[in-house]
Amino acid sequence: MTLPATIHAELQEAVASSNALACLSCGKCTSVCPLATTGRQYSPRINVTRTIRQDYDTLLSDADLWSCLTCQKCDAYCPAGVSYLNLMAVLRSKARQNGFTGECSHAGALQSLARLMVNPDLKQNRLDWLPEQLKTSSKGDILYYVGCTPYFDALFTNLNLHTTQAAVSSIALLNELGIVPALMADERCCGHDLYWNGDVDNFRRLAEANCAAIENTGAKLVLFSCAECLSAFKNLYKEHGLGVSADLQHISEYLAGKVDSGDLILTGDDVMATYHDPCRLGRHLGIYEAPRKLLKPNGNNQLPEMSQNKGRALCCGVSAWMNCDTVSKSIQIERLKQARATGAEVLAIACPKCQIHLLCAQHDQGIGAQNAIEIRDIATIVLGRIAGNSVVVEQIESMAV
Amino acid sequence: MNSRDPTIHQLISDTQATLRLDDTPTATFRVGPVEASPCTWACPAGVNVKTYVSLIAAGRFSEALEVVRRNNPLPAICGRICTHPCEEACNRTQIDDPVAICALKRFLTDYEMAHPPDRPQPAPRTKKESVAVVGSGPGGLTAAHDLIRMGYGVTIFEALPMAGGMLAAGVPNFRLSRDVLELEIDMIRALGVEIQTGVRITGDRATVGLFEEGYQAIFFAVGAHKARKLGYPGEDAAGIVDCIAFLRDVNLGNPQKPGDKTVVIGGGHSALDSAQTALRLGAKEVTIIYRRSRKEMPATPSDVRGAESEGIQIHFLVAPKQLRVKDGRITGVECIRTKLGATDESGRRRPHPVEGSEFIVKADTIITAIGEEPDLSFLPANHGLDISQRWNTFIVDEAILATSRPGIFAGGDVVTGPKSVVDAIAAGHVAARSIDRYLHRKPLARELLWKPPTEVEIKVDLESRPRIPRVPMPVTAVAERINNFKEVDLGFSAEEAMAEAHRCMRCGPCRECTVCVPECDKQIALLSAANGEGALLLRFLPGLEAGRLPLVPHSVSVTGRSGVEISAQVHPLVSHVNERRCRGCGDCVSVCEYDAVRLEERDGGISVAHVDVDRCKGCGTCAAYCPSGAMEPGYFTEEWLTGLLAGMSPERTNLVVITCSWGGARLYDFIGRKQHKNMDITYLQTLCAGRVEPALVLRSFEMGAAGVLINSCGVSDCHYRFGAAQLTRNYAKIEQLVTMVGIHPARLRYEQIPSVDAARFDRILQTFARQIRKLGTGQRAPLETVSG
Ligand SMILES: Cc1cc2nc3c(=O)[nH]c(=O)nc-3n(C[C@H](O)[C@H](O)[C@H](O)COP(=O)(O)OP(=O)(O)OC[C@H]3O[C@@H](n4cnc5c(N)ncnc54)[C@H](O)[C@@H]3O)c2cc1C
Ligand code: SF4
Ligand code: SF4
Ligand code: SF4
Ligand code: SF4
Repeated sequence: MTLPATIHAELQEAVASSNALACLSCGKCTSVCPLATTGRQYSPRINVTRTIRQDYDTLLSDADLWSCLTCQKCDAYCPAGVSYLNLMAVLRSKARQNGFTGECSHAGALQSLARLMVNPDLKQNRLDWLPEQLKTSSKGDILYYVGCTPYFDALFTNLNLHTTQAAVSSIALLNELGIVPALMADERCCGHDLYWNGDVDNFRRLAEANCAAIENTGAKLVLFSCAECLSAFKNLYKEHGLGVSADLQHISEYLAGKVDSGDLILTGDDVMATYHDPCRLGRHLGIYEAPRKLLKPNGNNQLPEMSQNKGRALCCGVSAWMNCDTVSKSIQIERLKQARATGAEVLAIACPKCQIHLLCAQHDQGIGAQNAIEIRDIATIVLGRIAGNSVVVEQIESMAV
Repeated sequence: MNSRDPTIHQLISDTQATLRLDDTPTATFRVGPVEASPCTWACPAGVNVKTYVSLIAAGRFSEALEVVRRNNPLPAICGRICTHPCEEACNRTQIDDPVAICALKRFLTDYEMAHPPDRPQPAPRTKKESVAVVGSGPGGLTAAHDLIRMGYGVTIFEALPMAGGMLAAGVPNFRLSRDVLELEIDMIRALGVEIQTGVRITGDRATVGLFEEGYQAIFFAVGAHKARKLGYPGEDAAGIVDCIAFLRDVNLGNPQKPGDKTVVIGGGHSALDSAQTALRLGAKEVTIIYRRSRKEMPATPSDVRGAESEGIQIHFLVAPKQLRVKDGRITGVECIRTKLGATDESGRRRPHPVEGSEFIVKADTIITAIGEEPDLSFLPANHGLDISQRWNTFIVDEAILATSRPGIFAGGDVVTGPKSVVDAIAAGHVAARSIDRYLHRKPLARELLWKPPTEVEIKVDLESRPRIPRVPMPVTAVAERINNFKEVDLGFSAEEAMAEAHRCMRCGPCRECTVCVPECDKQIALLSAANGEGALLLRFLPGLEAGRLPLVPHSVSVTGRSGVEISAQVHPLVSHVNERRCRGCGDCVSVCEYDAVRLEERDGGISVAHVDVDRCKGCGTCAAYCPSGAMEPGYFTEEWLTGLLAGMSPERTNLVVITCSWGGARLYDFIGRKQHKNMDITYLQTLCAGRVEPALVLRSFEMGAAGVLINSCGVSDCHYRFGAAQLTRNYAKIEQLVTMVGIHPARLRYEQIPSVDAARFDRILQTFARQIRKLGTGQRAPLETVSG
């Protein structure tokens, strides 16, 4: 495919906004990139150099353009303030407009679902998983944004997946706090994955529809269990001049606040858990402490930490349902090894996609068994820690099994 | 008919026609039964007989030989002396005579010797472990061949001064020339196998010493070289010798000249070989005595006839009773006539002596050839291995060939007792596979091993088949052969080989479709999966064999026998793994019911999937389950299907019909690919229903379908036996997702209508279309901005 002559002009802006020209070519980015350190011939440094040299043919047609996990580790270490993330976003969108695309996992089922949700007349049936015992409404001050977990649970039956458990637990906890959260029957995909697939048009359409729908509920606070949804709302929507008037928080932030205020008391049994920072919650949004507060054992025990944690945390290996392969798996195996090495019984996660990707590596017939560690969503763990205090919680717990 | 629209039939019959990419043949071929051909099932080594016979018929000899070599590293040897159970199984036996499969194999190697390729390169050493193989017979050679190609270090230890086992020590030159044997052993040496001849492994070295010397596994393929004794007084007299010793001496170059009157006792290959050898060494009169009838003889009938034509007398139904010895020398044997009684455990009728029928056969030399057993005297006293008391053979788990000691494996004659070359080759394969698994600490899974089903029914229309006489093997005239050791069989010429190969009926499907047109004057096997898209599915075109060209769609040109050039698009029907994409999750391995995919280990414990193209049926079920998009089904690719979907017009109401290529697509033979007024119907086709997954249906809706109708064979009629069952399972998921994302459930329908019920399918299609019209257009995602 030959690129249009205008491509240089079109990409000029990207070069400027990503600050690529400041690159010192020090290679710090490549040295921390999980792809590069796990055996992929991949160098963010070289790609920045190619950008400076305007070698767009190579950049846009490179199959590995879609491999970057957008984990932002490189940016975190860059001494010159280059935003590789920004560069990726622009390059992918341009690449897609010129007919290139990544290799979609699961034959593209998730991308199709996201694009189907663009339909303005959409009428989904996405709340079937919601147990009767839970109290929810359609309008209210606090809105709980479910994310695509109902679709995940339906699609990944082979992983015996229950990512909706995060929503069930979160709503149960809110009920416990006396809150009846609003849920949107026609909540759409947040568009995060389409954005990173380069399909910015449909990302925008989803974002617009979501923003309008949220405003409609009159919510003042939106809570998320999925780190990617939250980062889409907080960062990507904003970048496109979109947004909602409500505050946006990850469920762990909200619950941690309630622990601080004494409204939520974690007296139940400890779970020896180590916490996996999702890239979106950690490096993208700087949220490190809230989830840890919820997991910190009673008494003087320390939370076991993995060798790479917080700003240095290792990604779960796949992003935006694209370019999943052996390198992805190697990253996942490495992450699971790190988790096991802490001696923790449970790997706590704050993003359903991290959960799926790590579970998938465990499901591997060959080496999966060696990497066994229970993976649980953080809200579910918190729910367990207040068990015994509430009738609602007991009902939910009995239902969860 | 439009000249731009020739049918396949036209193209085949018109010798002037050139098939080009823009030709759109519309005819479709009937597709036949599923199972592999009987010849292939019958071959213990699993050689894909039909494929190579077809290639010979097409004059594509070196490719044919490659197919043979995939499962048999000793084709020149087998082409001469194999017991060819394939021919016993050949369907042609029911019409006239079996296809001369064995001779065809020999032809290939003769052809290769006349056009020798380069000596093979040493196989790269990729694994640190080494394996000791004890015995250089076909079993040991095969295991060594497989192991060295897997990347192990391999040393063969051979007690005799030359390699080849019984092939070198027993089988005489006139059946298997030493040059041929040497050449084939040399091919294995060239791969890097070290063969230490004159080294007999004995005592503790056999059980512990070799491990200490740095070998991590041992394979005993020591054969069965101890001749059974008659057990009669006088057996140690001068002039009596057992066939093993007799033949070995001849083969080692110091023959014992037999007396003028030589008597051979026995009825197997070793008896015939001894008799014919004695004749060639100058014996004036050679007689074989055998206690059962001609029918029970273990030697191949044609070999028996060959011996008789040389003047060797065979006395059937005669058993030795007593040896006649005078002054320490044999003078003859007292015999007794027998009659056959009830069937014994070997499946043959047991001979009973007829009292009073004794008579004497005079002899200067007696050669006993009444059976062999393994000589296990090399083992130390404390070997701790399970040995059969009765047969003196190793007792092993036959499917994996592991002995009772870890790391020690055994196979070939030493396990089965005297059997055959091809069985020893099969054992060599099994052993290599087991040793590989053992060295990688994988379970020695039995189920992974190639096990043909006990019985296969292949439907072939025998009545309609013309009788065609089998091409006889050219042989040296009797007078010119009985005084020397030159090979008797001369082998086929290329013309003879092709003529003989044309007798093959290509029973069963080739990869699936029996649409392989044997009469095709263009010398290509045409496979059409009724794809209706104008593309031919071609198989066995030059360069298409596994391992040489990537199995991806590409175009080829061939010049047919009549000199006409044929170009066509090739769509291999097998699945292909894009290794870069593969996560090594093994989902494909567990879902493939043909055992066609396995995981290959790469550095760091990571595995990638590998499709065995000989087993893959191309159904694509694996692709439906592959999470990463690494598994690409042949021809019915995601790209192709998406391309068809992209053709839907946004202005119209679109219906997508997804069918498998069997029950589904054959409906169109009856009703065609109907369109509907006010509505466009896009027909998607997969080879098998198993390939239909949620993404395909979701994408259809995403790209503008207002409705999706799926049709496949019924679960019990599925051409692939499990594809429809997989879809039935997957369909629940598809339905759930479609409903969840807000698509009206009535926009999706799944039927299992067989092709014979085309009228019903037609009715359902019409009803469905009406229903969709009522529901209105679908919900195509708004288009994206495209540059340029
Ligand atoms: C005369 C004759 C004719 C035959 N004709 C046919 C035929 O036409 N078609 C057919 O299919 N089959 C034929 N067979 C049978 C066939 O040869 C055997 O079945 C086959 O060779 C068995 O292979 P193997 O690898 O198990 O053992 P073998 O071929 O017997 O090889 C075993 C090797 O191990 C060596 N060995 C033994 N002990 C030790 C030790 N301790 N250390 C080192 N080396 C050792 C032996 O010297 C021998 O070379 C014939 C057999 C004979 C005797
Ligand atoms: S964002 Fe992550 S995966 Fe992408 S280049 Fe940077 S470090 Fe590597
Ligand atoms: S006719 Fe051909 S395919 Fe059929 S059994 Fe004989 S050799 Fe095999
Ligand atoms: S295409 Fe079918 S037969 Fe081939 S590997 Fe895949 S599942 Fe097995
Ligand atoms: S299912 Fe796909 S990713 Fe998994 S092993 Fe097979 S080819 Fe590789």
